[in-house]
Amino acid sequence: MPKIEVHENLFNSLLGTPYTDEQLEAVFPVAKAELDGHDVAEKLYKIELNDTNRPDLWSAAGVARQLVSYRDKAIARYDFFSTAEEELDSEGRRLVVHESAALVRPFSIGFAATGKVVDEEILLNLIQSQEKLCNNFGRKRKTIAMGVYRSDMITYPVHFEGADPDKAHFVPLHMDEDLTLREICAKHPKGLEYGPIVADKPVFPFLYDDANGVLSFPPVINSARIGAVEVGDEHLFFEFSGTGLDDLLLAASIVACDCSDMGFTILPVRCEFPYDTDYGRMITVPYYFQQPAACELGFLRKMLGDALSGEQVVDALCRMGVFALVDENMVYITVPEYRNDFLHPVDIVEDVMIGHGLENFAPELPNDSTVGRITEEEAFARKVKELMVGLGFQEMMYNYLGSKREYIENMHVDGSDYIQIANPMSENYEYVRPSVIPSLLESESVSGHAVYPHQIFEVGKVAFLDESDNSGTTTRNYLGFLGASSDMGFNQLSSQISTLFYFLNREYVMQEMADPRFIDGRCGKLVSKGVEVGIFGEVHPAVLESWGIAMPTVACEIDLDLLK
Amino acid sequence: MEIDVRNLHPLEIRLLRHVSPGEAVTAQRLIDELDYKIGQCNQAFSWLTAKGFLEETDRKFRTLFELTELGQQQLEIGTPAQRIFNLLKSKGPASLPEIAEELALEKSDVGSAFGMLSKSGTCRMGEGNKAEAVAEKAPAEVLVAAKVLEKASVEALDESALDEEERNFVAKNSKKRGAAGSPLKIIEREEVFFALTDAGANAKAALLAANITGEELGSVTTSMLSSGSWKQASFRPYSLNTPSARLIPGRRNPYGSYLQWVKDKLCSLGFEEFDGPLVENEFWNGDALFMPQFHSARDIHDVYYVKNPSHAKQIEEPYLSQVAQTHENGWSTGSRGWRYSFDHEFTRRQVMRSQGTVLSAKTLPHAKVPGKYFGVARCFRYDQVDATHGADFYQTEGIVLGEDVNLKTLLGLLKMFAEEVAGAEEVKYVPGYFPFTEPSIEVHIKHPVLGWFELGGSGIFRPEVTKALGIDVPVLAWGLGIDRMALMHLGLNDLRELFTPDIESVRMRRGN
Repeated sequence: MPKIEVHENLFNSLLGTPYTDEQLEAVFPVAKAELDGHDVAEKLYKIELNDTNRPDLWSAAGVARQLVSYRDKAIARYDFFSTAEEELDSEGRRLVVHESAALVRPFSIGFAATGKVVDEEILLNLIQSQEKLCNNFGRKRKTIAMGVYRSDMITYPVHFEGADPDKAHFVPLHMDEDLTLREICAKHPKGLEYGPIVADKPVFPFLYDDANGVLSFPPVINSARIGAVEVGDEHLFFEFSGTGLDDLLLAASIVACDCSDMGFTILPVRCEFPYDTDYGRMITVPYYFQQPAACELGFLRKMLGDALSGEQVVDALCRMGVFALVDENMVYITVPEYRNDFLHPVDIVEDVMIGHGLENFAPELPNDSTVGRITEEEAFARKVKELMVGLGFQEMMYNYLGSKREYIENMHVDGSDYIQIANPMSENYEYVRPSVIPSLLESESVSGHAVYPHQIFEVGKVAFLDESDNSGTTTRNYLGFLGASSDMGFNQLSSQISTLFYFLNREYVMQEMADPRFIDGRCGKLVSKGVEVGIFGEVHPAVLESWGIAMPTVACEIDLDLLK
Repeated sequence: MEIDVRNLHPLEIRLLRHVSPGEAVTAQRLIDELDYKIGQCNQAFSWLTAKGFLEETDRKFRTLFELTELGQQQLEIGTPAQRIFNLLKSKGPASLPEIAEELALEKSDVGSAFGMLSKSGTCRMGEGNKAEAVAEKAPAEVLVAAKVLEKASVEALDESALDEEERNFVAKNSKKRGAAGSPLKIIEREEVFFALTDAGANAKAALLAANITGEELGSVTTSMLSSGSWKQASFRPYSLNTPSARLIPGRRNPYGSYLQWVKDKLCSLGFEEFDGPLVENEFWNGDALFMPQFHSARDIHDVYYVKNPSHAKQIEEPYLSQVAQTHENGWSTGSRGWRYSFDHEFTRRQVMRSQGTVLSAKTLPHAKVPGKYFGVARCFRYDQVDATHGADFYQTEGIVLGEDVNLKTLLGLLKMFAEEVAGAEEVKYVPGYFPFTEPSIEVHIKHPVLGWFELGGSGIFRPEVTKALGIDVPVLAWGLGIDRMALMHLGLNDLRELFTPDIESVRMRRGN
C-alpha cells in the first residue's frame, strides 16, 4: 500500500478549508485513505492509500481533489487536455522520439508547466509523486520513469533516442564527473539501482535538447544542469518514458492535474513518434486517451441490492468526480482525465457505492438456505485428536516451514524428496515440513524444563515431492506423536498405537524396517490393508544428540489420509 | 480464633487428648507413650504450634550413643577382649599372631585388647612369648562392655543414664564420625520441650466433649467395605483446603480449539469447509484472481517460490485459456482486461500458497449455487518474522454464491460474522481495495476490550474472476482476521506464540 506524507499548508490550501484529524478520518474512506499519523511538529500528515489501482490518489492534490469533489459535489475541470479530435497549441514545444528508442524504451512523452514558483513543499511533493508513480505504479521505473527539468534552459525540440552507452555522456546529478551512460550504471548510486533495467540492451535511453544539452539518462538519472530542479524555479518540463503508452499518458495526466491544482499553468508539448501508436504518430500531451465507460442500470441495482434512481446514480458519481448521465437503462460516464481504472462496469458500481455513501445501504441477511459441513479430513482429524487427548497427549501446533538443520541434518536423513524454497528469506524457513516428527523433536529440545513425562502430538499438514501429482508434490494430513521420559520405551508406544487403531476401527500389522531416525530393531512400519500408513520407533540416540535431547524418546507418525 | 477440632489430624488429636496443661511434651514421650514415630512427632509439633495449641518452652542438647554395625557384631560374638580371654581359658596359651589368626582379628585389635587384659591382671605374657589366662573370670571391663552393648542394642544410650564404669567404656569405645571401627557412635540430639497453650487446652476440652478420639477411619479400603468394619466407626473429616498436587492431563491446544470453534460456528451458519494443498501455482495463486502477472504483490519478494519442481506440469482447461484471455482483453467477462500478453510459462510457476482466497477460487468451478463455503488455510508470506508476521499463518476465508446476493447481503453477512464470531457491539463498513473484488468492503468492529479494529476484508468477486472460472452468479468473498481474535482469546500479543514449540507454555495456556 502506498504511503505518502503531505504538508499541512499545501493540503489545507488544496482543500480550501482546514480539517481536524477527526474530520479527516471521517472523510478519508471516500478516497480509500487512512490517516496513519499527524506529525504536528513537522506539520506533516501521514496518509496510507489502499487502492493500488488509483495512482491519482497518491499525492496531496489527488487526495484533496477527491475529498473536495465529494464535499462540494463538484467535478474538477481541466482545460489543457488535447484529444483525438482537438489538438491544443503546443507553441513550438516538441519532443521527438527517434527510431533507435524502439530498441530499448519505445515511448517518451512530456509537457511543461509555468506560472508558479517552486517552494520547498511543492518540490517535496513533486519528488514524492515521482517516487510513487515510478516505484509503485511503474514497477520500480521498469514501465514508468519520470523526470522534471528546468524548462527555461531547454532549446526545443527535445530528443529521445537509443544512444551508444559508451559514447553518450554527461555530468549526472549529485556528481561532478562527466561519465558515459555505461559508466553511470557502474558508478552512480542510481545507476547501480536502476541501470539493470536497460543494461542488456544494445542502446541506452538518452534525452537531450536541440542544443545538445543533456536532460537525462532515463530511467536512471537526470543531468546536473537541466535536470537539477530547485526551490525558486518557475518553469518546469516533465518527461515520462516507458514501455506502454497508456501508463505514461495516465502518469502525465495525473502530474499535470496535480500541478494545475497547485497553481501552475500547464503548457502542452507535441510528442512525435517515428512509428504508429494507438493514438497516432503525433500526440499532444497532456492527452485525454480514456474511452467512455458504461454500466447497465439494472446490473448496478442488482449488484448494490438497491433500486437507486438515475438521479441518485448521477449524484453519487458526481461526488466521486465522475461525470455521468443516465439514458434509458444505461449509465454513461466520462472517465476523469487522471483515472484509468474502469475495466468493467463493476468499477462504476463501486464508485456509485462510495459516492452514495456506504452507510446508506442497510445490511440484509442472505436468505439462501445451505447446509454447513466440515471436510471428511477434518472430521477424521477430530476423532484422532480426541483419542490422543484420551491417551494423555498434549496437542501442539507448529509452523510448516523450517531449516535444513531441523528437517535434514538433525534427523540424519538425506531429504531428497523434501520441498525446498527457491527464495528463502532466511535459512530458518528454507524447507516445507515433510514430517511432523522434527516439529515434535524441536519441542522436546526446548522443553527440558517442563515436568515429565512429555506426551505430545499434532494433527497437521506435511508436504513432500511426489512425481505422480501435477505439481510434483503432495500435501498430506498427518498425525505425529512423541513420548519422552526416563522410562519411556517401545512397549508403551506399542500399546498406544494398538489402542489408537482399535478405536479408529482399523486393522494393522507392524513390520520391521530400518530407518536412520530410529534404533535398529526397535522401529517398524505400520501396515494397514497392505498399505504402509505410518512409522514408529525409539528415536535414535544420534538423532537425540543432534537435537540436544537428553531423555529417552519414542515417536510415531501416521498418514491419516491413507487411513480415513 | 475459631478452630473446628474435627479438622485436626489424628496425630494432633491423640496428642491433645493425651497430655495435660502444665506437662512437658517431648518427642521421646510421644514415642514412649503413644507409639509415635519420630517423624509423626515432628508433624504433630509443627501443626499444633502453627495453630497455637502448643508452645515451645525449652530445648536441651542430649548426647546419645548408638550401636554401630561393629557393636552389633560384638554384642553377638563378644568383644575382642572377651573372646581372647575365652580362647586362652579354653585352649591354653597362644602367641598374639596365633590369637589373631584363630579369632580373625586385626593384630592391632588383639594388641590393644591383650594390653587391657594384662593391665587388669587376668592375663599375662608367659613363656615362649605366649599369652595365658591367669584368672577365673574375665575382668570387670569386659563385663561392663557386654552390659553396655546389650543396653545400647535396645535403644540409644543417654549419657546421663550411665554409671561411671559404663561411662568409661563408652568414652573409650565411641566416636562421633568415622565410627565404623568403634562399637558405638556418638549422636548429639536436641530435645525440644513443648507445653499446651490455653488454646490447646480449649481444643483438648472440645475434643473430649465431641468424643473425637483420633481413631476415626481414614481412607476407605476394600477390606473395610467387605468386612463392614466401617459400620462400627466414624470417618475422619479431611481438610478441604490442602494444596492439591499438579496433574498433567491430555489436552487440546487452545489455539486449535479456538479454530475448531470458528469452524463449527461457520458450519452452523451454513458454510461448507474447503481445503487444498500447500503448494500452488501462479495460476491459482494470482492469475485466477485477476491479479495481473506484473502485480506488485506477486513479486519475488512477496511470495515463496518452490525450487524443484519449479513449474506445474499443466493448468486445467478451459480455465487456463479463459483466465489468460480475460487478462489480455477481458474475454467475454464484460471487462477490457489488463491489456498485456499473458505469460503461459509464468502461470505454471509453483509457489507456496500466499492467500486463502486461492482456495475460494479453486472451489468456484465445482461450487453449488446457492452455496456457502469457507476454509481455514495455512498461507505463506515472504515476510520478516516478528510479533505481527509469521512465515506461515492461518487465513480464514470464504465465499457465498447466489442469484440474489449483492452489496446489502454482503453487509448483512459481515454483520453476522461481527456479531456471531467476534462478539462485536458495533460494526462499521468502509470502502476497501482488493484486486479480485469490486466493490470491496472492510469491516471494522468495536470490541468490548480492543476497541475499534479491522475484522476483515470482503467484496463481490470481479466477473473477471467468476466468469473465467465458469460461474455466472455474483459471488461474495470474505476473509476474517481470526488470528487477532485468537491472540485476544488466549491472552497473547505475539503471533509467533500461536505456534510455539514450548510444551510447558502450551500446557498452561487457557482460553478466555
